Amino acid sequence: MRASLLDLARTRTVLFDGAMGTELMARGLGLGVPPELWNVERPEAVREVHAAYFAAGSDVVSTNSFGATPIKLAAHGLAARAFELNRAAARLAREAAPAGRFVAGSMGPTGKFLKPQGPATEEDLIASFAEQARGLAEGGVDVFIIETQYDLREALAAVRGARAASDRPVFVTMTFNAFPRGYFTIMGNPAPRAVAELEKAGAAAVGANCTLTTAEMAGCIRAMRPATALPLIAQANAGQPEVTPEGGLRYAQSIEDYVRSVPEIVQAGAAFIGGCCGTTPDYIRAMARTIRQEVKA
Amino acid sequence: MTKTEIYARMSAAIVAGDRDEARRLAEDALRSGFDLIDVVEQGYLPGIQKVGELWEQGEYFLPELISSAEAMKAAMAVLEPALNRQGSGAVMGGKVVIGTVEGDIHDIGKNLVASMLQAGGFEVFDLGADVKMERFIDKAEEVGAALICLSALLTTTMMNQRRLIGLLRDKGLRDKYKVLVGGAPATRKWAEEIGADGYAENAVAAVKLAKALVGRA
Repeated sequence: MRASLLDLARTRTVLFDGAMGTELMARGLGLGVPPELWNVERPEAVREVHAAYFAAGSDVVSTNSFGATPIKLAAHGLAARAFELNRAAARLAREAAPAGRFVAGSMGPTGKFLKPQGPATEEDLIASFAEQARGLAEGGVDVFIIETQYDLREALAAVRGARAASDRPVFVTMTFNAFPRGYFTIMGNPAPRAVAELEKAGAAAVGANCTLTTAEMAGCIRAMRPATALPLIAQANAGQPEVTPEGGLRYAQSIEDYVRSVPEIVQAGAAFIGGCCGTTPDYIRAMARTIRQEVKA
Repeated sequence: MTKTEIYARMSAAIVAGDRDEARRLAEDALRSGFDLIDVVEQGYLPGIQKVGELWEQGEYFLPELISSAEAMKAAMAVLEPALNRQGSGAVMGGKVVIGTVEGDIHDIGKNLVASMLQAGGFEVFDLGADVKMERFIDKAEEVGAALICLSALLTTTMMNQRRLIGLLRDKGLRDKYKVLVGGAPATRKWAEEIGADGYAENAVAAVKLAKALVGRA
């Protein structure tokens, strides 16, 4: 059996990929169309994005399935196609992956709050995540990555759903804001407690993504490090979006600025590193160079 | 118990997010023939303002904010019919039309802003998510809104915030409404760029801004 993604992380810093949605939009994905639909309607575009990230140096890419829980797909009338869209997402990434590279099955938030803040029950969420995970497992992912979670209870439900569907390792990232007292989700979950609870629930790697810039991410990883024995994941945003003089949009952190804090994130204890909103294959290529220099140093 | 003590308990019920207590105190005040404007302005509103401060300090998070907004709504539901009967709509902030823009199904932030605006005394018309830009204007015209609030989570759909302002201009209605924009990718700079009347970083700031724009701050 070939070496696992977790084995690789024990030997060196492992590189994830960057943003997917914006890459698909650059290839013509229209407003209001769920990106996951392209797993069956424009598979070559999705495969091309994965291939671009692998070519840029990603060791592992995340499938185009972030919004593909049945609950989230229901907003587009696609709930019944969750299994199919997730399986297709996994297969496309698998097809794009060179030998020895990896595929992580992306599982984003359902967008529904649990009771009492919202209408969802833990059982609803577990069932929805389990359905997604079955599709991803069938399509051949190496691990699951439950991403951008803002409610620890939902993240824990996602871990249970994934584990009910498959015995593949479960990675989890949550998204935190920086406060004077530390790093918290919008629901008030502190970063150290979140990773400790996720470890207890059986996650194989935990960390933070989205919201924070690379400079802020280093602090977040440092705050998590003492709270868990698991390998940590860091996938920062390229800052906040801003309007260009031409009326387009760009993210505030340039590649140089983004990469500057990458060594600090690694030193803070991240074993997996990658991009989030605003990052492209160019960002990943620059990160790959930085990480390789780090390893040599 | 003095009125001051009762007002303090009303405020505390909101800060604690205790819906039953907030409702009960409102019913008592109504039965006892209290000046209802004082009840709102000295009892309940200071509570929701305190909640806003706790949120800004990073002491309160979304669950606390939602509970407090719910408690506020419960109290206001008791007081509003009587307030309206005595023609005291003045304590109310005015009408707001809110929704997530066309092409965008994300509604968590928008729901929170709608709740907090309602808790802050505004009459809120929530159009939901993925709302056609024309509908915002039609609804605002229909109800006589003072404010139109546009939410967008995606950098692509936030372009629709700009489009709404263009539509208002085309119809000669731009000066009739204050337009507020929000959502993860929105910034103050973006609001200025597209000619919106304001931007708020979060739901608490949105209420402050809305009050300032309608002259209640």
